[in-house]
Amino acid sequence: MTIETQKLWKDWRVHATVFAIVLLSETIGTHEIPLGPGVILLLPMLYAVIIGISLFFTPLVKEKQSKSAESLVFISVTLLIAKFGVQAGPALPLLIEAGPALLLQEIGNLGTIFLALPVAVLLGLKRESIGMTHSIGREPNVALITDKYGFSSPEGRGVMAVYIFGTVFGAIFMGLISGLLATVTPIHPLSFAMATGIGSGSMAAAALGPLVTAFPEMKDQIIAFSGASNLATSVTGLYVSIFIALPLTEKLYGWMTKRKSKNMKSNVGV
Amino acid sequence: MLKNIQEWILVLGIIGVVVLIGNYIGYDILPITALPGMVILILISLAGLVIGKLVPLKIPSIAYIGILGFILTVPNMPGSDQIVKWTADVSLLAIATPILAYAGIGIGRSWADFAKLGWKTIVVGMCVLLGTFLGSAIIAEIVLRFQGII
Repeated sequence: MTIETQKLWKDWRVHATVFAIVLLSETIGTHEIPLGPGVILLLPMLYAVIIGISLFFTPLVKEKQSKSAESLVFISVTLLIAKFGVQAGPALPLLIEAGPALLLQEIGNLGTIFLALPVAVLLGLKRESIGMTHSIGREPNVALITDKYGFSSPEGRGVMAVYIFGTVFGAIFMGLISGLLATVTPIHPLSFAMATGIGSGSMAAAALGPLVTAFPEMKDQIIAFSGASNLATSVTGLYVSIFIALPLTEKLYGWMTKRKSKNMKSNVGV
Repeated sequence: MLKNIQEWILVLGIIGVVVLIGNYIGYDILPITALPGMVILILISLAGLVIGKLVPLKIPSIAYIGILGFILTVPNMPGSDQIVKWTADVSLLAIATPILAYAGIGIGRSWADFAKLGWKTIVVGMCVLLGTFLGSAIIAEIVLRFQGII
């Protein structure tokens, strides 16, 4: 991390821009789009990320600001994590009670393999799909894959593609689907709160916002569960990837491609 | 190290001011009311960043920050009630907005790469996020129901 040499506080341009974005976004406020039995919640943070992206294409934001902003995300996320912490403390008895669920839902992060890997294989992607689907493909996973397979390997290209996708679209996507899923599915908001710890601070915040807004009466518990789950993922996430997710993805990929080629052969035979 | 701390204090201070104003516009909490909570959050972050730098383990600073905030506010910890009361005035959503504004500005640089991704990556990428999120939610739901918590 090269944060120490950058003098981030001096980049007044980036702070002023963020200040303006926050003013505008918070003034627009929260809006709801009803969709069948559910709602999509449009929150200020969603406008903020979209305005931020679009400002990159104006003279207001230069390459330098964009670089500073990347490091500033890391520092600003610490405040969110601190907030998670102080909300989780008072909920300690509840967290202990829900401890088994909190630990076991970490395994649920493997859900990407069961949903996305078959889709990737069906779409005809080859070994790229291993890099793409073994995890949500954030920085630690990019490091893991490039360390194991090399940066220009198919697996490396795969994880980079999902990394870029998640970087640009992750927070927007999570912000849109979390409120919708929580309002249309029978799954409890507290279960979704636990699910927000997916290994990315900004995606977690984007997923959590709609939950807090849609279920204000459970706000404190939702934040406490989300905080505990984020903490659990930040500590265990990489190890789950190394020891469970990646071997499992390899195995399933091998099994699926074998089946697929067998099917093709038998089709040809008929 | 001292340079780092100075940098962190200044940056967290700037972000803190932005959060306080967003907190006022969006959630009607006066900056002066939310100031003590904001200062506490900044101090927790700062302490966690420093610990992360000092301890030679491969544990991310955010883990220390989360644990520290947690320990300070567990029931019966001296001063915990006051910390909980103060930090409650800083809305989570008000913290999230500037984070995502910075993220957005940072993301801009990746746009050219993003535009080059094929539609297959977009489809698979959405399945990755959906699968991770829904997978955890389903397991949490099963266990919480089994335990009778929800």
